[in-house]
Formats: sequence, C-alpha cells, structure tokens
Amino acid sequence: MSLGQSQSLPAGSRMPRNLALIAAAAVFVAVWASVPLLASRGTVDLLVFTALYSIAGVGVAFLLGQCGIISLAQSVFYGIGAYATAYGTTALGWHWVPSLFAGMAVAGTVAFLIGWPILRLSGHFLALATLALATIGHVLFLEWDWITGGTLGVGGIARISLFGFVLNTPQRFYYFVWIVAGLVFWLYANLLKSRAGFAMRAMRDAPSAAMVLGVDVHRLKVQVFVMSAVVGSLAGSLFASYVTFVSVDSFGIDRAVSFLLVAVVGGAQTILGSVFGAAFITLAPNLLSKLGDIHALVYAGVLVLAVIFLPQGIGGFLRDRVRGLLNGSGRAGR
Amino acid sequence: MTAISMQNDALMQVRHISKGFFGLTVLRDVTLDITEGLITGLIGPNGAGKSTLFNIVSGFLTPDEGDVVYKGESVASMSVAARSYAGIVRTFQTPQIFANMTVRENLVAGCHKLSSSSFLANLFGLPASRRELAEMHGVADDALRRFGLQGIADVRAGDLPAGQQRLLELSRAALAKPDLLCLDEPSSGLNAEETQQLRALLERLNAEGMTIFLVSHDMDLMAVSSTVSVLCFGEIIARGSFAAIKADPRVREAYLGA
Repeated sequence: MSLGQSQSLPAGSRMPRNLALIAAAAVFVAVWASVPLLASRGTVDLLVFTALYSIAGVGVAFLLGQCGIISLAQSVFYGIGAYATAYGTTALGWHWVPSLFAGMAVAGTVAFLIGWPILRLSGHFLALATLALATIGHVLFLEWDWITGGTLGVGGIARISLFGFVLNTPQRFYYFVWIVAGLVFWLYANLLKSRAGFAMRAMRDAPSAAMVLGVDVHRLKVQVFVMSAVVGSLAGSLFASYVTFVSVDSFGIDRAVSFLLVAVVGGAQTILGSVFGAAFITLAPNLLSKLGDIHALVYAGVLVLAVIFLPQGIGGFLRDRVRGLLNGSGRAGR
Repeated sequence: MTAISMQNDALMQVRHISKGFFGLTVLRDVTLDITEGLITGLIGPNGAGKSTLFNIVSGFLTPDEGDVVYKGESVASMSVAARSYAGIVRTFQTPQIFANMTVRENLVAGCHKLSSSSFLANLFGLPASRRELAEMHGVADDALRRFGLQGIADVRAGDLPAGQQRLLELSRAALAKPDLLCLDEPSSGLNAEETQQLRALLERLNAEGMTIFLVSHDMDLMAVSSTVSVLCFGEIIARGSFAAIKADPRVREAYLGA
C-alpha cells in the first residue's frame, strides 16, 4: 500500500497513527532540547556544525535530487555569507542582521548572474562549470584581502545577540541554529509539494516533456540555484558569527565537495537526508580519528561503502524503512 | 499533388519551411496546413524529415527558412514553453514520462499551465499556493477516471509497461488543454488491441474539439486522419484524404512499397 492509499483508511485507523506521530515528535523535541544539557561541549559543537552543514547541504541536495543539477559551487556562497558577516560586523560596524541579509543578497545576485548563463549547460558540463566557479571564488577570497583578510583571515566577528542575549556558547548557539535549520527545511518542504516542486521533478525526469507542459526549465533552474546560494550564504553567515573568525581555508574545493557529500551520503531525494549527511561528515571523521593515522583511509572507505550500499543515501534508506513499517501496520490493522 | 486545396480555416500553417544540418538538406520548402477541429496526418519513410518538421512545429528546432503561423501569428521564434501556453502540446516518439513520479503525480505535473502561483508563494506555502495544489490534484483525479488510469494511480511511472506509459503521456498532454495536440508515432510499441484503444481515444479527443497533428508509420491508425500529407526526402509529395493517399501511385512507390 502506498502512502497515498492510506487516506482511504477509516478514521479509527488513522487516529492511532496520528497519536503515534505526535508522540514520536514530542520525544524527538524532548531529546533535541535536552542534548545540550547532557552532552559535552565538544559534542554540542559538532552538532552545531551539523546544523550549519545541513543548511548549506540541503540547498545542494535539493538541486541534485529534485532538479538533477550537480553543484560544486556552494563553498563560494558559504564564503560570501561568512565574509559579509565578517566585513559587515567588523569593518562597517553593522549589526549581525543586516550583515547576514547583505550576504544573502550578494550570494543571490552572484548566483543569478553566474547561473543564468551556466545553467544552460547540463550534466557533467554543468558540474564542471560549478567547479570552475568554486575555484575562481576561492582565488578571489584569497586575493581580495581588503575584505577577506587573505590568508590571515578576519577575526573579532560579532556574535549573534537576540534581545540582549548573546549566543556565546555552543549550547546557546545550538538551539538557535537548529531552529533556523528547521525553518529552511520547512521552506524546502513547501517548495517540494508545490506547483514548482512538481515542475522541478518533471524537469529532472524528462526536461523536454516538462517544457511541453509549459515549464520554463531554464528560469526554474536559475530560481532553485539562487535559492541554494541564499541558504548557503545564510549558513556561512551563521558559521562566521559562531566561530568569530574566518579564513580562506574554510571556503576551498574541499568544502565544496563536503557539501556535495552531505547531499550524496544523506540522500538527495529527502530534505531531512541533509541532516544525516551533515552528521556523517562532521561526526564520522571525529569518531574515526580515534583510530590514529589510518582514520582518513577508513573514512574514505566508509564513504565508498555508503555510496555503494545506500544509493538513495541514509535519508532514502530510512524513508523506505519507515514506509515499509507504516504500510505493514496498515495491512495488519485490516 | 493530389488535389485538395489549402484550407483557410487552418489552425496552423507551416509555410515554405527549409532546414538542413551540416550541409545536408532535410526539409525543402515544406508547406502544410493543420485544419482546426480535424486530425491531420503526416506519413513518410524513415529519414523523410518527419521528426525534424515535428520539432520545428513544436519549437525544439528553428527553421533555416520559412515560418510557422499559429492562430494567424508567427510562432517561429517562440520557446517550447511559450508555445505550450499558446496551446501547442506534443508527445514524443519515445514516451517522455516522469519516471520517478507516480501516475497521479505525472498528471498533477501536467496541470502546470492551469496554475500560476509564483516561486516565492510556493516557497512560503501561502494559502493560494496550497489551494492551487489541491485544485491540481482534483483535476488529476478526474483525469485518472477519464482515461481509465485509477488502477495504476500510485504506481511509479517508470515501472509501467510501454503501452501504459504511452497512454499516460497522452493523457498528461491532453490534460495540458492543448488547442493543437501533436502526436509523434503514438502507436509505436503498442500491440493491436492497444492501438485500437488509442485510435478510439484520438477520435474521442477530436470529437471533444481538439485539433490533432499525427505523425505515424501505422496506416491503421493513420486512417483516423481527415487529411494526410506525405513527406519524402524532405518534400511534400502528396496531400489528400487517407483513401486518396493510399491509392496515389507515387505514394505507393515512395512509401507503401506496393
């Protein structure tokens, strides 16, 4: 039975399932809220980075999973957000809010100007074009040291304060960044189940047929690319406010690949897959580092195994299991 | 050329189209009328230029010379999506279904033109966006019943056999409210029974007022056409009723091989 067919279940059968979902959500929120109280500072710090990477990663995942676009340029937009916050709050003396929005505006504009021509490409050519953008962006971050501080970076970035409450510990930042991540996921979930979401998936599966149905494929690709850049910049700004120091090393090709890994390992077809992907790329190296020098090799091996055995990513794997469970209980209920 | 005068009530006029690729001329001064409310057929042997002409009509290719006039206005420079909004919808020789979506979702996607909410309205889940999606689902559910697809509504489209993929593509195209429905080899891959069902469906859509431009090798299916044009080596060599075309000795020589 599919999820769609479950709507035909009698009201009495739906009630326990809804209650179970509410109970599961309540347990999840309780666990989420208690983590900073119970876990070590180091663990909470990793979970903050998980949230940051999942925000930037969901943009990449959505491009890949819903539009069939491989983007390696997210590190540039992450960098634009980080430097906008760094420059805005230090050199210009701005509050963190306008700095954050300025970064998003710049990232969106750059994505529009670059995306308009390159999104006429497809497949590997488009991936290579985004890789070129990542390379150029990294060089510009290095060369424009009057903004970025070059290799020395920018320090003294203002922390985020909400109504006089400064987010100066990982525990405080944890709650804030995960709420922001939740909002970003909500926006993407809205998009996925909307007219634009159907158009994107149509474009991914059969672009010619989508055009015939009236979808302006190029315009839609540019819109999603700009959206991805904006959330990438948002993550970058939050990152800068959290660590209060940024340097060009944080926005290289390796970071671009990390964001793509969030999408691939987490599963590009599901929005929450980005959380699992981000958790993997932040927690796995940390846990494996206990193995000593061999940890990088093990990490690479685990990555390869994950791609081979979980082609739909962790999110896709879990989605299929949950669907199987729900369908099984639906049949048993009859 | 078999004597049938050019119609004045043409929905689309293909005027003196020429097209070549790398010095090879594929279409040479092709002129063709698609009459409003009728089924217009196009036949021709392999390599005659049918697909090229079809791609020019639907906007996937631009002609080197000539014009495509639709409802009295040139559409030669219009994009595929813009032509779709103008009412020109096509299917493909290899069915272009949305393989990773269910049959119902394919039909919801087919309602794209019937809705108009913006990207930002979709992003923020505004009430208008949600209402519109509910309407799209309603139209898709009606289409499932109308085209007999209820039994496979929740099946992944990529898992369907060829005949059902063909039917799904045609249903989705019909859902996009075309004034001119262009069908490229719609019976390709279908068995005799499915072809008969397809023929009945085309006649039904035509009876409902849909103008159809049909390209096919299948002479049984082509019999639904009011007018048939024959394309051979990039030129229209005959035009007339299906019976007249079948009897035309040049057509028999060039195409029917008898």
